[in-house]
Amino acid sequence: MRLFLALTSVTLRGILRDRMLRAILGTVLLLILLVPVFSMFSMRQVQELAITITLSAISFFLLVMSLLLGSSSVWRDIERRYTSSILTLPVSRRAYILGKFSGIAIFIVCCGLFLFLVSVPVIMFAASSYPSDVPVHWLNIALAIGADILKYLLVAALALLFSTISTSFFLPFFATIAVYLAGSASQEVFEYVSGQFGTELQPASVAVIKGVYYILPNFSAFNLKVPAIYGLSHSPGGLALTTLYGVIYVVILLVLAIKIFSRRQLP
Amino acid sequence: MKSKVIILGLIFCYVLVVVPFSSYLKNRPVMLKLGYVPAGKVLRAIVGDQRYLTAEIYIVRVLFYFGELFGINRERVAVTPEYFNMYRTLENAVLLDPYNTDAYYFSQAAFTWELGRVREVNSMLKHGMKYRTWDYQLPFFVGFNSAFFLNDYQAAAEYMKRAAELSGNPLFTNLAARYFYEAGKTDFGIAFLETMAKSAHDRKLKRIYEVRIEALRAERFLAGAVDRFEKERGRMPESLRELVTSNLIEKIPLDPYGGRFYLDRSGKVRSTSKFAFRE
Amino acid sequence: MKSESIHSIEISSLSKTYKGRKGKAVEALSELSLTIQNGEICGFLGPNGAGKSTTIKILMGLITATSGTATLCGLPVTDPGARKRVGYLPENPSLFDYLTAREYLALCGRAFAMDGESILRESQRVLELLDLREAADRPVRGYSKGMVQRLGLARTLLHDPDVFILDEPMSGLDPVGRALVKDILKDLKSRGKTVFFSTHITADVEVVCDRVAVIVGGRLRSVDVVDELLESGIEGYDIQVKNCAPALYAGLTSSPKASDITEIYVPRDRFNEFLAHLGKNGGDIHLIEPKRKDLEAFFLDILGKG
Ligand SMILES: Nc1ncnc2c1ncn2[C@@H]1O[C@H](COP(=O)(O)OP(=O)(O)OP(=O)(O)O)[C@@H](O)[C@H]1O
Ligand SMILES: [Mg+2]
Repeated sequence: MRLFLALTSVTLRGILRDRMLRAILGTVLLLILLVPVFSMFSMRQVQELAITITLSAISFFLLVMSLLLGSSSVWRDIERRYTSSILTLPVSRRAYILGKFSGIAIFIVCCGLFLFLVSVPVIMFAASSYPSDVPVHWLNIALAIGADILKYLLVAALALLFSTISTSFFLPFFATIAVYLAGSASQEVFEYVSGQFGTELQPASVAVIKGVYYILPNFSAFNLKVPAIYGLSHSPGGLALTTLYGVIYVVILLVLAIKIFSRRQLP
Repeated sequence: MKSKVIILGLIFCYVLVVVPFSSYLKNRPVMLKLGYVPAGKVLRAIVGDQRYLTAEIYIVRVLFYFGELFGINRERVAVTPEYFNMYRTLENAVLLDPYNTDAYYFSQAAFTWELGRVREVNSMLKHGMKYRTWDYQLPFFVGFNSAFFLNDYQAAAEYMKRAAELSGNPLFTNLAARYFYEAGKTDFGIAFLETMAKSAHDRKLKRIYEVRIEALRAERFLAGAVDRFEKERGRMPESLRELVTSNLIEKIPLDPYGGRFYLDRSGKVRSTSKFAFRE
Repeated sequence: MKSESIHSIEISSLSKTYKGRKGKAVEALSELSLTIQNGEICGFLGPNGAGKSTTIKILMGLITATSGTATLCGLPVTDPGARKRVGYLPENPSLFDYLTAREYLALCGRAFAMDGESILRESQRVLELLDLREAADRPVRGYSKGMVQRLGLARTLLHDPDVFILDEPMSGLDPVGRALVKDILKDLKSRGKTVFFSTHITADVEVVCDRVAVIVGGRLRSVDVVDELLESGIEGYDIQVKNCAPALYAGLTSSPKASDITEIYVPRDRFNEFLAHLGKNGGDIHLIEPKRKDLEAFFLDILGKG
């Protein structure tokens, strides 16, 4: 356990000491602080717009972070031969991958919480300047950010998995983006081919599309922005299922990453 | 060996979860599926150069959703379509890309009867006319809507004339004239829809028109029978059933929108579906 | 937990074939077997590309052997637990750039399950030993090559392990540093530690090693006890004699050293005979120095034979 914490803290320190990441965080903070100004564009829906922009900014930041951190993790440690200085300690490859992921995960979670705390006064300010007929649903906003965090943990795990195979930045980065886009659209496509349109396609291609749908991570499920903006109610069962799904998927990705990394020859 | 067991266990858990998960997602309210679209002007500032792409994505999303809806309705599964949300999405899409035809054609097809948002659809179409200056369909739509829904015949004539000029086809003025002098409202509607159904390329749009035509024809058929009944007996029928029992018609046609035809107090033929997909 | 029956390092018929690009395979190691006893210092000598680092990486679990097995302290090298009592120095170590020396050592200490207090104490000790105290709180990014090498050595000493595996410990060090490393190795030897290190410098092997293993082209060529090797390499003796009749060393190379001292080179096979003559005819021995082939010559011999 102490070893795991030590590995986590090494990863975290590496992230925190990276200047570029700090610059990105600063930009997003600035963007969120400017939200009241942006919201003035919409005279009718200031509050809705403030919530939308804030949530989108947080979501975008977390996406960039999870992509960058995940895709530049394992292969870079191998290339810089950090692995040969750490895996020659009594450290198993499993502990190394888990430590790596938990460092990234802690960073993403902390950033999400931090940005949520920053966005609270910003949304309050925007909402009070042009009150809307819908009250602000803080719980829903928190849930939306929580779901985003889980989604980007999934993205990070995916990028980490690809980075255990890769020897450069490109494969994990672009493969993760591709899966991300596909996984965000899969639900719509699935419903489309499940409907009338599907009857006009070849049964084999419908089966393939459905198969891919069940394998791809379903990112659209984690989009809870609309209930946050309009204060719609959630189904607790659905939330629980979504969480469970996310957790199981992350675990599967990590197990695969460990399996692949355990076979890898290190310099 | 141990790791194989772990992986198999995980896959098992995954399958256990993914089945209810996917059915939960499929049955989520539509608004959740379409998502929230920020006001067009703001969106335009945010997405910058990518606005055409963004507009296309939104439009495709609405079309996708609608296509799926049609699939469900064919099997007579009751769902309430979120017309307003679809409309809002398209409204924002044309702010991003005023040239996108799909948004206009789809709005005209789907939101006038169903949503009753004729004025909004007209203003969206007029917005489009500023950009698609060569497109005769847009003034044609506005002209039809003005006449059929708003009873504004002066405006209708004006737009129909414009459509005729742009297309070089006198059909449009004829169509309007027919409505004014010859036919009833239902016939005018059917004539319009038939024109549209013929020219529609998209299967979904065609289907919208065809369903509407089917409904209007059924309505016309019943209204004609009611007229004949009244002429023969000198009174209104008690209900539509009476038309069948008195052997005027063989049976009451089905409403393709899933409703049931009835006779309202003033003797007009109506349907419980109000000719829109409702619960 | 030291047990005499368990060897510190045991390598048996280890082979490694790297899969190269375009299907070209490189056979870096073939059928290498070697056992390192407890408390022994063993040098691992070989030309560039001989397979020294490959062997060591297999021992440290960085790469997997194509065939054969290896154990550390009785545990297979695939088990991370095998590395608990091992201090390893990689070839050209690359340590976490963004950590300071102290942070890096703390990480290693945790991996070796040391408690907080002893991590602090031992870090200070090894940093002082390797003369890194001043740089200890700067990030490794700003270290020179030699400083990184020193930090790598510091890491191997941190938890006072029983077995040391060092890949070219002297590389990149200044003369003071080399002397320091030699002292450290001698100290380890006196404390009964096991050391297995690869090097190109034969002189270092002569000074500190008990045994030397020579590897060429992935095959083990010889394993010898250094002292025996050096002894067998004696070719003759330089003998300085006082008051000796010149007739005694007729036929041998000689050179006058001082007014009454002469230095004579006596080949090994004539040594006893010469001493007997000297005893009979009188004359004092001032100094005897064995003249031997050094390890370098041995090494070159082996290479030449290959
Ligand atoms: N990753 C690799 N892929 C392919 N071939 C490799 C790889 N690593 C090493 N080799 C080859 O294996 C052989 C042995 O290499 P190794 O690094 O073990 O040599 P070495 O004895 O440590 O040499 P040096 O004294 O130069 O450090 C060399 O021929 C080398 O080209
Ligand atoms: Mg080497």
